[in-house]
Amino acid sequence: MSVRNALLGLLAQRPRHGYELHAAFVALAGGQELWDVKPAQVYTTLARLADAGLVTQEGVEKEGGPEKRIYAITSAGQEELTAWLNAGVPSEHQRDESYIKLMLSLSLDMVDPYHVIRVQRNALFRELHRITGQRQRADPRVELATILLLDKAVMHLEADLRWLDMVESRLEDVRRQPLPQPEPRPRGRPPRRRETIEQTREAARAAEPEGRALPVGAGR
Amino acid sequence: MNTLFFQYALAVRYLLGRKLRTGLTTLAIVFGVTVFFGLGMLTPAMSEAFRQNLIMSAGEVDLTVTHVTGGSFGAAALDVVRRTDGVAHATGMLRRNILLPAGLGRASGTKQEVTAVGVVGLDPATARTVRSLSLTTGRFLSDDDTSTMVIPVGLASKLALGVGDTFALPSSSGTAAFKVVGILSARPAAGVEEVCVPLSSAQALINQPGQINVVEALLAPGARRDSVAAAVQARLGDGFRLGGLEAGGEVQAAIKFGQTFYGLFGLMALLTGAFIIHNTFRSVVVERRHDLGMLRAVGASRRTVLGLTLAEALTQGVAGTALGLAAGYVLAALIMAAVTPLARDYLRVDIGRPLVPTVPNVVASVVLGVGIPVAGALLPAFSAARVSPLEALRPAADSSATRAAGRRALAGVALIVVAALTLVSGQFALSSLGTALFLVGLILIAPAAVRPIASTFGRLLGLLLAQEGQIAQGNLAREPGRAAITASTMMVGLAIAIALLGTLSSVLGGYRGYLDRSLGAHFLVMPSSLVLSGGNVGAGPDLAQRLRETPGVGALTTLRLASSEAQGIQLQLIGIDPGSYPLVSGLTFSQGDPAQAYAAIGRERAIILNGILATQLRAKVGDVLTLRTPEGDLPYQVVGVGLDYLNSKLTTGYISQAYLANDFHETSDVLLMVNAAPGANVAAVGGALERVVRDYPAFSLLDSESFRASQAEMLANFQRASYALLLAIAIPGLVAMVNTLAINVVERTREIGTLRAVGTTRRQVQRMILGESVLLAATGTAFGILAGLWLSYVFVAGMRATGFILAYDFPWAGVLACVAVGLLIGVLAAMLPARQAAQLPIVAALRYE
Amino acid sequence: MAVIETVNLTKVYGHAETAVTALDHVNMVMQAGEFVAVMGPSGCGKSTLLHLIGGLDRPTEGCVRLEGRDTSRLSDTQLTELRRRKLGFVFQFFNLMPVLSALDNAALPLLLDGARPEHARAKAAEWLHRMGLGARLSHRPRELSGGQQQRVALARALVAEPLVILADEPTGNLDTRASDEVVGLLRQIADEAGRSVLMVTHDPRLAAYADRIAFLKDGRIVDETRLSGDRDAEAQVTREKVAAL
Repeated sequence: MSVRNALLGLLAQRPRHGYELHAAFVALAGGQELWDVKPAQVYTTLARLADAGLVTQEGVEKEGGPEKRIYAITSAGQEELTAWLNAGVPSEHQRDESYIKLMLSLSLDMVDPYHVIRVQRNALFRELHRITGQRQRADPRVELATILLLDKAVMHLEADLRWLDMVESRLEDVRRQPLPQPEPRPRGRPPRRRETIEQTREAARAAEPEGRALPVGAGR
Repeated sequence: MNTLFFQYALAVRYLLGRKLRTGLTTLAIVFGVTVFFGLGMLTPAMSEAFRQNLIMSAGEVDLTVTHVTGGSFGAAALDVVRRTDGVAHATGMLRRNILLPAGLGRASGTKQEVTAVGVVGLDPATARTVRSLSLTTGRFLSDDDTSTMVIPVGLASKLALGVGDTFALPSSSGTAAFKVVGILSARPAAGVEEVCVPLSSAQALINQPGQINVVEALLAPGARRDSVAAAVQARLGDGFRLGGLEAGGEVQAAIKFGQTFYGLFGLMALLTGAFIIHNTFRSVVVERRHDLGMLRAVGASRRTVLGLTLAEALTQGVAGTALGLAAGYVLAALIMAAVTPLARDYLRVDIGRPLVPTVPNVVASVVLGVGIPVAGALLPAFSAARVSPLEALRPAADSSATRAAGRRALAGVALIVVAALTLVSGQFALSSLGTALFLVGLILIAPAAVRPIASTFGRLLGLLLAQEGQIAQGNLAREPGRAAITASTMMVGLAIAIALLGTLSSVLGGYRGYLDRSLGAHFLVMPSSLVLSGGNVGAGPDLAQRLRETPGVGALTTLRLASSEAQGIQLQLIGIDPGSYPLVSGLTFSQGDPAQAYAAIGRERAIILNGILATQLRAKVGDVLTLRTPEGDLPYQVVGVGLDYLNSKLTTGYISQAYLANDFHETSDVLLMVNAAPGANVAAVGGALERVVRDYPAFSLLDSESFRASQAEMLANFQRASYALLLAIAIPGLVAMVNTLAINVVERTREIGTLRAVGTTRRQVQRMILGESVLLAATGTAFGILAGLWLSYVFVAGMRATGFILAYDFPWAGVLACVAVGLLIGVLAAMLPARQAAQLPIVAALRYE
Repeated sequence: MAVIETVNLTKVYGHAETAVTALDHVNMVMQAGEFVAVMGPSGCGKSTLLHLIGGLDRPTEGCVRLEGRDTSRLSDTQLTELRRRKLGFVFQFFNLMPVLSALDNAALPLLLDGARPEHARAKAAEWLHRMGLGARLSHRPRELSGGQQQRVALARALVAEPLVILADEPTGNLDTRASDEVVGLLRQIADEAGRSVLMVTHDPRLAAYADRIAFLKDGRIVDETRLSGDRDAEAQVTREKVAAL
C-alpha cells in the first residue's frame, strides 16, 4: 500500500517512467539500506495502478536504449491520493514476528524463551548501534530528513528493547497462562484504523488487570 | 613543587569563594595576634623605660663591688678591698638614681624634660685614680668642695647649664642646690645621665651619712682579675657582689608578670581562634566532601588534599597574622599614648620611646599566629584526606553517624572531676591547667547534652513558634554532633568572656577595697613616683616633724624603704612605725592577727609579708626568713601576711622602721600619711600642709579622696577596655554559628524544597532556621555561662591563694549581657542562611543533589 | 594485550546476615580502543564494577588487571597515581570544582601531577577546543549548561591521556540532545584517540553507541553482545526493521 501511494505521489509530481520511479522511491525512503524495493515490485504495482485506472500510460520514451513507458496520474488517481493524504496511516506494530516467536517458544520446548529474548535483544542492539552510527555520519545540514527517519527507527528500537525487558520480567507470569486460542468469531477484513485503536484500548483495558498479553491482531 | 602552587591557588579560590566566612574566621586570628603582639611589644617598651630610670650603668673599671641588696654599707668594705693583694687603687662611692620632680627637671623655655639623673657621690681624692673622667670645660671636684657638681655635656645642653650655674636636686631636707664647676665629656652610657658630686654631699642629699654603696677598684699591673676577684669575694662574704648596681628587680618582675598575663590573654584569644578554625574546617570538609572525593578520584593524593586544607589555614594564618601585627602596633601605640602621661605624672617614668617590636615578640607572634590556625586545621585536614573518592559518586552526602557520644561524655565528666580536684589543690598553676581540662571536658560532654538541653529550650521556643520550633528542635537532635560543635564554640567564647568578667570584677572589687583601706588617711605626701623603690629621694626626719607641728594635724605615719633578698627572691622592705601606722592606714591581713603582728615587728626582728611574696617564698606565719642586710644575713620571723594597695603587685615585706634603720641603714621617709585631727577643718589643714610640702619638691601633697577617685576612675576605664576586648572574643561564636547554619541549609536543600513544595511558606522556613539558630545559641550560652562562672571562680580562688583578699563577685551584669549577646548572635547568625533557604527556588531545591 | 581484565571480581558489602553481594565473580576483558557499555537494572552492581575497575574501592575477592598489572594490591598512593595517569573519570553529577574555571577544572589532573601550570592549561585548552568549548575557557561551572559542564568533565578525564575512560551514568543529568553529544564524544574518543571507554548506563539508546554491551544482573554478567563487526548481517536486520515501520 505504502509503495502504491508513494508511486501515486511521485507521479503526481510529474509523469515518470518505471526506472525513474524506482530510483525516486529509494531516495525518498532513505536509501537502499533502509528500504530495499526491487524494481520488479515497482513495475507490478504500476501495472495494478493502471488496471485500477489510477494511472495511465502517457507515452514511450526512446532515447538510444530500450523503450521506456511513461506513466501519469489520472483524476481517479488524484482522488485516491488526496484521500490518502488526508487520512492517518495505521500503525502495524501489533504484527510482530518476535512476539510470535516468543509465544511459540513458550509452548514448543525446543528453545529457552529467555534465550529467544536475549537473541532478540542483541539483534535489536546491534541494529540500534548501526543506525546510531549512520545517524552520526549523517550531515544534519542537508540530510535532516534522513536523520529524522533514523530517529524514528531509534525510537522504535528503544521501545522494542524496553518491551523485551518488560516481557522478560513477566515471562513467568505469561507462562502460567494458557496461550491465546482461536476464538469462535468470524474473521473478515482487517479492521479500520479507528476501530483498531478502539479495539486496542479495550484490549488494553481488559488485559491490564489480569496482566494478560495483548490479543493478536487479526491476520488476513 | 607545582602541586604546592596548585594547592595555594585552590586554597585562595576557596577562601575568596566564601568571603564572609573567611573574613570572620580570619578576624579571630587577627584579634589574637593583635593582643599578643601589641601587648607583647608594649611591655618591653615600658620595661625599658623603667630600666633606664632604675638601672645604673656599670663603670668601666676593673672591679666593682656592691651589696647584693643594692643597699649601702660602711667604709669598712672599702678598706677590705683596698688591702687585698693585686688591688692598686680603690674608691668608694654613693650612687643613686634620683627622680626629678616636674619643677626641677626642665630648663625654662625648653620642652625637653629630664625625669631622672644618676647622682654619684665621689671621693675627689681617690676617684680619679680609678676612673678616668675627662672634662671639656671647668674643673673637677676638689677635696674641700661642698655642693659642687660636674655634669655630663649631654645633660648640660638639655638643661642649658654651664659652669657657674646652679642645679637643684631634691634632697632629704627639701632641695639641695649644687654649683656646676665642670662639664664632663660625653660618655656613652645606658640609663640616665650621671652627675658627680662630692661624697659627703651625696650622703647628705639622700640622708645616708658615712655610707657608700659602690666600691670601684683598679688592679695592679700583672694581677689576674679572677684571683683578685675571688680574694675580694672571700674577704667580704656573700653579702657582697662583684658587679654593678642593680635596682628595681621587683619592678621588673612585676612588668614581666604583666607581660605574662597579657601574653596569656592573647594566647587564649589565639586558642579560641584555633578552635573556630578547627570547627570551620570541620564544617568545610563536610561541605566539600563531593569536591574532595572528585579530587581524589581524578588523582589527587591524600597528601595533596591534606595540603589543600592546610594551605587554606596557612593562608588565613598568614593574612590574619599580618593584619594582627599591624593592628597590634596600632593598639600598642594607642595604649602608649594613653599611658605615657599617666606614667610621667605618677611614676616619673618617661615612656615616650619609639615602639620597636622585639625579634622574639615578632617571631612568637608569627609562629603562634600562623601555627595555631594550621594546628587547628590539622585534624579536619586529616579527615579531608581520608575522604573516599567514592564520595564523588554518591549523589547526596549522607550525614555522618553519631559518634560514641556516650563514651566521650564519660571522658568529659572524668576531666571535669580532675579539674575540680585541681581547684581543691589550691595550687594556682595546677588549677589553671585544670581550667583547660574543664573546657575540654565541657566540649566532650556537649554532644550528649545537646539533646536534653535542646528539648528544654525547645519547649520554651514552642511557645513562640509553634510548628517551626518542633522542626527546629528535631533538626538539632538529628545532628547532635554538629550542633555540639557549634554550641561548644559559643560556649568557649562566652565562657572566656564570663570568666574574665567575673575575675575582673572580683579583682577590681578587691582593689577598690584595698584602695579604701590602705589609703585611709586624709592626706598623702607622695614621692615623685608611686613605685616607691623607683629612685625617689626620701625625706629626713624634719619633714615629718614639720608636718606633725602643722596645726590641725592628728595622726601621722611614714613609710621607709629598703631592698633585700630572701631565698634568692628580690623584695622591697617597707619600714613602718607599728605604733602610728595602724592609726592612719593599715594592712589587710589574710594570715595572723593584726594587733599581735604590729606589736611583734616593733618588738623584735619580725616581718609581715604581702601575698605575692608569701606565695613566692611559700612562707607562712611562724616561719623564720633569712634576709640579706648590709649587716649580713639576719633572721626575721614571719608574723603575718597582709598587703596594701600600692604594693599589692610587688614582692614586699613590712618591718619596723627601727629595724630598718638598724639593719638596712635606712631612715628616710618616702611616703607620709597624715590625718587631720578630729574636729579640724580638713581643707584648712590641707592648705597648711601644702605650704610645708612646697619646700620639698620631691614630694607632693595628695588629697586621698581625690586620689582614690582618680584611681577608681582608672580602674573603671580598665574595666571598660576589658569589656571591649571581651566583646571581640564573642565574635568567633557568631562565625561558628553562621557556618553551622549555612551548612545545615546546604545539606537540607532538598528537604527545604520539599517543605516548600508541600506548602511551607518562606516565612515558615525562615522561622524554622531562626528557631534552630536560637536553640543552638541558647544551648551554647547556657554552657558558656556555666563554664565561665566556674572558671572565674577558679581564677578568684587562685588569686586568693596568693594572698589577695577577694570576695567572689558574681558577674550579674556579665551573665545578663552574655544571655543577651548569645541570643542576639543566634538571631544574627540565622539571618543570612534563613534568607538563603527561604529564597531557594523550589524546583531547583528538589533537584538538588 | 587487554587494557583491563577482571578476574573473578567480587564485592560483598556488610557482614554475615546483612552481607550483600554487589558483584559476583565477574570476568571481563576490555581491549584498547574498545567502547563497552554496562547495562542492567538498578542495584545490579554496575557502579560497583566501575568503582572497582577505577580503583576507588577494593574488591572482596578477585582482582582487576590494568595492562596486566594487578591493581588490588597497590597502596593508596599508587592507586591515586594510577587514577591520575591511566584512568579518566566522568561522573553523573559532573563534579567540577565550583571555584575553578573550566580551563583549570580540565587541567586538574595535570596540575595534580605536578605539571607546569602553563603546560597543563595549554593541554586542557586543546581538549576543551575539541569539545567545542573553546569560547568558554574562563567560565565557572555554574555559568555553563549541563551538557557543557559534562564536556568540561570529559576534557578533564582526557587531559592526562589516560588509557581508560570510566563514565558512570554520564548523561544521567542531561537532556536527550546533550546526552547524544556527550556519548557521541565518548564514541569519537574511542575511535579517534584509541582510548578504551567503559560506560555505565541504563539508556539503551546510549548503550548502542558502544562496541559491546555487558548486561549485569544480581552482580553477574548475564549476557554480553558485540554490536559492531558483522556489518552485512546488521544491514539486513536494519532493512527489515525499517521496512516494518
